[in-house]
Amino acid sequence: MSSSVCLRCFKRALIPPESSSSLTTAHRAAFSTSPSLSANPPKKKPSVGKTQGKSQAKPGKTLRLTKNKRVQTGRPPAPGERKALRKRIVLSNTNALDVPGLENLTTENVKDTGRLRELEGRVLGFGEDTVDAMRALEAFKPGQGWSLFKRPAALVRKDMIELGEAVQNAKENNSVARRVVFGERGSGKSVLLLQGMAMAYLQGWVVLHFPEARPITNAQTAYQPIQTAEGETIYVQPHYIAGVLGNIAAANRGLLNDLRLSKQHKLPIPLQSNISLTRLVELGARDPQLAYPIWKAFLSEMTAPSQPEKQGQLRPPVFVGMDGVDHIMRMSAYLDTDMKPIHAHDLAIARDYASLLSGKTPLPNGGIVMAATSASTRPAVPTLDHFLARKHAETHAQALTTIRDALLDQAKTAKSIQDIDLTNLEALTPASFPPPLALQAQNLQYLVLRFHDQNASLHSLRKYLHSFAPKLPEWNPFEAMDQHVADVMQTGVGVTKMEGLSKEEARSVMEYYARSGMMRGAVTEGLVSERWTLAGGGIVGELERGAVRARF
Amino acid sequence: MPSASSFRPVIGVKRPAGGVCRTFADKSSAMPEAKEGAKGPNMEQQEHVSEEAAKMAKMTGGEGPDIEGTGTPVQEILAGDKEARKQAPQVMKDSIKAGTGAQNAKPATGRSFSTMARRRAADMTPGIDESAGLPPSMLPTADQRALYAQEQQPLAPQPVQEEKKGHKFPLPALPLPSNGNKDHRYDPVVDQITNLLMRDGKKAVAQRNMAAILSTFRTAPPPTYNPLRPLLPGAPPASHLPLHPVLYLTLAIDSIAPLLRIRSQRGAAGGGVALQIPVPLGLQQRRRTAFTWILDAASKKRSRGSGKDQFALRVAEELIAVVEGRSTVWDKRAAVHRLGTTARSNLTHGNRGRR
Repeated sequence: MSSSVCLRCFKRALIPPESSSSLTTAHRAAFSTSPSLSANPPKKKPSVGKTQGKSQAKPGKTLRLTKNKRVQTGRPPAPGERKALRKRIVLSNTNALDVPGLENLTTENVKDTGRLRELEGRVLGFGEDTVDAMRALEAFKPGQGWSLFKRPAALVRKDMIELGEAVQNAKENNSVARRVVFGERGSGKSVLLLQGMAMAYLQGWVVLHFPEARPITNAQTAYQPIQTAEGETIYVQPHYIAGVLGNIAAANRGLLNDLRLSKQHKLPIPLQSNISLTRLVELGARDPQLAYPIWKAFLSEMTAPSQPEKQGQLRPPVFVGMDGVDHIMRMSAYLDTDMKPIHAHDLAIARDYASLLSGKTPLPNGGIVMAATSASTRPAVPTLDHFLARKHAETHAQALTTIRDALLDQAKTAKSIQDIDLTNLEALTPASFPPPLALQAQNLQYLVLRFHDQNASLHSLRKYLHSFAPKLPEWNPFEAMDQHVADVMQTGVGVTKMEGLSKEEARSVMEYYARSGMMRGAVTEGLVSERWTLAGGGIVGELERGAVRARF
Repeated sequence: MPSASSFRPVIGVKRPAGGVCRTFADKSSAMPEAKEGAKGPNMEQQEHVSEEAAKMAKMTGGEGPDIEGTGTPVQEILAGDKEARKQAPQVMKDSIKAGTGAQNAKPATGRSFSTMARRRAADMTPGIDESAGLPPSMLPTADQRALYAQEQQPLAPQPVQEEKKGHKFPLPALPLPSNGNKDHRYDPVVDQITNLLMRDGKKAVAQRNMAAILSTFRTAPPPTYNPLRPLLPGAPPASHLPLHPVLYLTLAIDSIAPLLRIRSQRGAAGGGVALQIPVPLGLQQRRRTAFTWILDAASKKRSRGSGKDQFALRVAEELIAVVEGRSTVWDKRAAVHRLGTTARSNLTHGNRGRR
């Protein structure tokens, strides 16, 4: 009886791809029927005999095309060198002018919500410390335009202030805020994530960050199955996790140095009971085979209750970020033993993040779990899209429901329809609602005003208002829903849509460009208006492209 | 940047109008009479070599031979004669007073930021005697320096338009400028170079490449001028260039642009040899030739990295090399000009006529 597993595949699977690629010895199958491709080249014929075949061309008479010969000059690039050059992140331009009066995002600014509110609409720089930590977490990305300015700076937007309040709230009440940020390409999702991490870092939080979700699922790193305690099969990616642990250690070194182990962990190697968390994380970063157990141990340490009275047992709040989260909300590119695609939530690291996002893993010391979608490398994620749209609509639907309820209350008590106060209804701007609700808001506004103008009976108004209910996007029942994703998104995760900048904000950003010497010409109202419109209603990435990069 | 000239001189000398010429077979004894003001065949001689050299030097910004012969320069007379100095025109008085030898001119130092940046290794810079300084023609005049210094100041954001008289935005000044339409949206050099960068009609790709080139200019360290390769007269100080990438580009292209091209006329020289005739080029053609040379040089370079912008990066590096005088394109330009000088006697080819 033959085994169901091909022995040769089995042998190959034992060697992790990363280690096999670095081996110098060539692997060769023991037996092969295919012809050898690496045969020795045929021997050259001895010196040019004139009597030999006519096909032998005389030297000097052949057409020599230099363009057909590849001349190797200089050292060829080392493996990975060209990619490193492409992905290099430059955060400073020595040619740019130093913007006078550019303030920094400091701990004092961040701690005080009122102070932060005052700074709304201004561009704030990042301090050197923060820049180092964020760089270690890979929160700055290539292609974000940092390389044009003297030092990194970003605009304080409304969303950032809300995030700052959430950070304060989480710190004071030990609560957890879970949030997914979505929006158009270039609308500032990744930069908001960066600002959130910077604010958390400045207040002494532990910051964990997955700079890209894509490499988790696109089958580019090694994976191996393990059994969980519940008997499920999940897949760990040792090399990827080791990289993440290295980033965490580099960014949070100052904080983790003072924290000690508080629990006994089952690890493959013996550990001292009182080593610092930096040391623990570095152990995992150094050895990929230890990375996953150490990641689990680190996570359980961070989610242990804080004991400030004991030395080294204080547990600060945690900020967990992930960019491009849509990539882990679908099937991954990995295959299981039956050659079926593995769901991304069966990959250990994505599973851990998803359980943090859904609140299954509690954060007793408070924290923020934030995810940003990716609009430039967008995979098809219908379930996530549905929940994002629905939750976004829900926040707007609430405004409509409040107005309807207020009108109903008045309709019950009022003597005639002319007594009803319509100021709230008239102030409604249907265009600001997401598409399915915009029409409804328009209808509500129009019909109630019609009732009012025609002096209709209160009964008919009440009847209409009773029948009015905001319609939310519904899932198409003929399509299969991704249950893993639905389980995460149905647990009270908040969503934020990044909208375009207002014209005042656009003006502030453009003044920063002009002061840096990167945009020539005066910042006038006409120019701001023109650029704002061409940037699709103030999409900040497009604004930068139009004002700095492509406008000559 | 020279202004676009619509005037293009015609090469060669015009033949005299028909009827005035007397052929050798003409039997009539009456000599033909020239028309009033008409020029005879030998009345328009070519200029003397030194005169032509002086004109050429004037165009390229150098100092040609002294065509005034042995005359004494006015400055020398003024220096010795107190009385004459009093009577001298105001311009001369001013220049004497200010002592504006071009050697004294210095770029304005109004920059609040450091220019300490990566410098190229010493062995890569061509051998330049630092003490020699730049040739006077390359240094900007006082007016130009004032202009650059003014441009260098970051423009203070203007207050939001205060007076609104019934219009959201101010009405345009009439008459509307003739170039106030979409065809003149970008700088003419940027426009032309973008089109020259374009392959297979993909203009958006060319525009992205152009943006990458200009971004490279902004982020690269300021160039070091090479006195052996003088740029256009009145070039701004090198430290001003990164903040004005379009000027950087224009300076590189216009400095390298040849004044003429060589047209090879077959069968004109006899014996199967082509006659080489120098033909002056217009502004657009000069820029086009220059940029074609730059593209040739850039396409022979190797990319150091990978990705979409590598080609743009190589072109930008070649343009920087032009400004720094390292580029081989300078040799190409010199060769064309040298050939033009030797072949200038062929300019009269059309005049000689054929037997």
